[in-house]
Amino acid sequence: MPSAPAVREISETEHLDFIRAQRSASFLQTPAWGRVKSEWRRQSLGWFLDGELVGAALVLYRQLPKVKRYLAYLPEGPVIDWESEDLGAWLAPLTAHLKAEGAFGVRMGPPVVTRRWSAAQVKEGIADESVRTLGDLPPTERGHTGARVVSQLHELGWRPQSVEGGFAAGQPQYNFQIPLRDADGTARTEDDVLKGMNQLWRRNIKKADKQGVEVSTTEGVVGSGDLQAFHDLYLHTAERDHFTPRPLSYFRTMTEALGAEEPDRIRLHFARHEGDLVAATISIRVGAHAWYSYGASSTEKREVRGSNAVQWAMIREALAAGADVYDLRGITDTLDPDDSHVGLIQFKVGTGGEAVEYAGEWDLPINKPLYKAFDLYMKRRG
Amino acid sequence: MSLTLTVSGDRWRTHLRAVAAANPGIVPVAKGNGYGFTLGRLARKAQWLDDQGLGVDTLAVGTYDELPHVAQRFGGDLLVLTPWRPFGAALEVDPSLADRVVHTVSRVEDVTALLARQPDARFVLEQVTTMLRHGLTSRELWAVAPILADHPRARLEGIAMHLPLAQGSHLSQVDRLLNDVVASGLSTTTVWVSHLTPDELTQLRSSWGDFTIRPRIGTDLWLGDRGALSVTATVLDVHEVERGDVFGYRGRTAPKHGHILVVSGGTAHGIGLEAPTGDGSLKARAATLARGGLDAVGFVRSPFSIDGKQRLFAEPPHMQASMLFLPHGAHVPAVGDQVDVRVRYTATAFDRVVVD
Repeated sequence: MPSAPAVREISETEHLDFIRAQRSASFLQTPAWGRVKSEWRRQSLGWFLDGELVGAALVLYRQLPKVKRYLAYLPEGPVIDWESEDLGAWLAPLTAHLKAEGAFGVRMGPPVVTRRWSAAQVKEGIADESVRTLGDLPPTERGHTGARVVSQLHELGWRPQSVEGGFAAGQPQYNFQIPLRDADGTARTEDDVLKGMNQLWRRNIKKADKQGVEVSTTEGVVGSGDLQAFHDLYLHTAERDHFTPRPLSYFRTMTEALGAEEPDRIRLHFARHEGDLVAATISIRVGAHAWYSYGASSTEKREVRGSNAVQWAMIREALAAGADVYDLRGITDTLDPDDSHVGLIQFKVGTGGEAVEYAGEWDLPINKPLYKAFDLYMKRRG
Repeated sequence: MSLTLTVSGDRWRTHLRAVAAANPGIVPVAKGNGYGFTLGRLARKAQWLDDQGLGVDTLAVGTYDELPHVAQRFGGDLLVLTPWRPFGAALEVDPSLADRVVHTVSRVEDVTALLARQPDARFVLEQVTTMLRHGLTSRELWAVAPILADHPRARLEGIAMHLPLAQGSHLSQVDRLLNDVVASGLSTTTVWVSHLTPDELTQLRSSWGDFTIRPRIGTDLWLGDRGALSVTATVLDVHEVERGDVFGYRGRTAPKHGHILVVSGGTAHGIGLEAPTGDGSLKARAATLARGGLDAVGFVRSPFSIDGKQRLFAEPPHMQASMLFLPHGAHVPAVGDQVDVRVRYTATAFDRVVVD
């Protein structure tokens, strides 16, 4: 890099313009996501090189109890040139800025891939008794850029936040994704993606179609009726599958905030069978990266395979939008058939994509005693 | 009249085979005094292991000066553990060995210098570990990839790590070092490591299954079955003494009635010379001091034992023999009898190695 970039606060408009110009950025780095996480102070930051905006970050400031000190959190970000061999030049002005804002520490999640495993490998891993976690399997690919980032972060004094076993407090380090382009960049066809799925998935998609399952998708800003319909089914799913549901207001904020950024940023999808809602999902897309975000399904009429139908509809939509990747989000790294999380992996593996490991979340302590106290507090909270 | 290392041949060979079989890709290390066996014998044994079908294609030596001792006895590749430098013995390698020798390179400038002299050189790149002896940092490793791009004939045979003795698990360090290899963009996926436990090796082979792990093993291979080895000295003379009798180079006097024993094994063999054991305790340090001050403080324990009991040096060891004091009442061995000796194999020069 010719000269070191400078960091300063930018407006949400500038921030959004920068995100729009990117091929890929996490939705957790959009200015709208800051509004979803309204319990934290948010700030849009920009990196400037010779007056030009070359990087951006959404920072969420999480306050420590009782003191006016913050953990500055950049979920799945920042959006900078991670291929740089001089990450120190990018990160030093960031931490200086955050320190001036009262941060005692920084946490970020570089959006770089460190390892990939094919669906076939994951499947074999689950069948192999000696394999307990993804890490026990040699990957199909190791990310060179990811390795450089990890190497440099160690060098710069950042600390990896271990994500052991299940989902830790932060963003998942392991995700399941379906690449929508071949290695040479050509877009895959619907047929090709379908062929990559396992037999059960293909059969279920066909079955749903035969049974007359119809999938509809919201256009533009999500209406309150649609949101209510999704949330009712989601509450039902939460009760059945024993997880704590988020309130309707959370989804309202999310659809409003994200929907205001781009008309197709966030969408709801409904699978209905003879008028009965059997599955509902939320998808998000930023540039060429499409995510499956939330899902819900009915207990009745499971045999019509609404969940498979709605997933297939979302995948087709991502393909039609020219996306590079369809992201089914977090999986745990367990491949132990006795682990309760393995079912989720198996469902995702059926889509024929790949398990992807990111560099994970990293901390930089700014005020060491405060950071230590915070770290201890988080560990105790477990 | 010798200080002898006796090897129970069958048992030793069985152990060697078992270690080689349990460690695919093993690189036996033959350096220094050859762990007491001599370099030549270890080289022949490494060849024998390969002949047994155990896939020992490379032998590691410590220094360039050790190459001539093993080159005729082992037919495979020869890895030199001391990093190559553009001076000294490294530049005097017998040209007939050039194609068999794998150099260890630990500085960026040495990569350039080595390839300038020998464009098709075979070498491994050593990474610096927490041991902080020789090696490239992660940044320096990155710098090597573009150099190699300019030397298409260079033969990079892998990455070398010299880990410190185990203090907890090495795996997190190895993971970091291997991540640095991926980050470097170097095309090699072979890694030569030392001092990993069998469990650590198993775990490494699974999580880095796309890499070839080559364990360098010395002590655990050659000296791993101590029961197969015995060290003996010969009783050369026995003198009965009364309290006050004068004996030895230094004209000491006997403290009480007993016997002076003259046994083979002295400073030339490494007897009585303390190699620090690495035990840093106060007691160990005091013991080292006491042995050093043998003359001043009286008799100290020797490594020779008779009837299972370690005996006292009557005076500091001579070059090839030692004098022991045996108090009255103890069994007195005869001239020609063998007595057991406890030694550090890596610091002892035996007169004879007998493999039976």
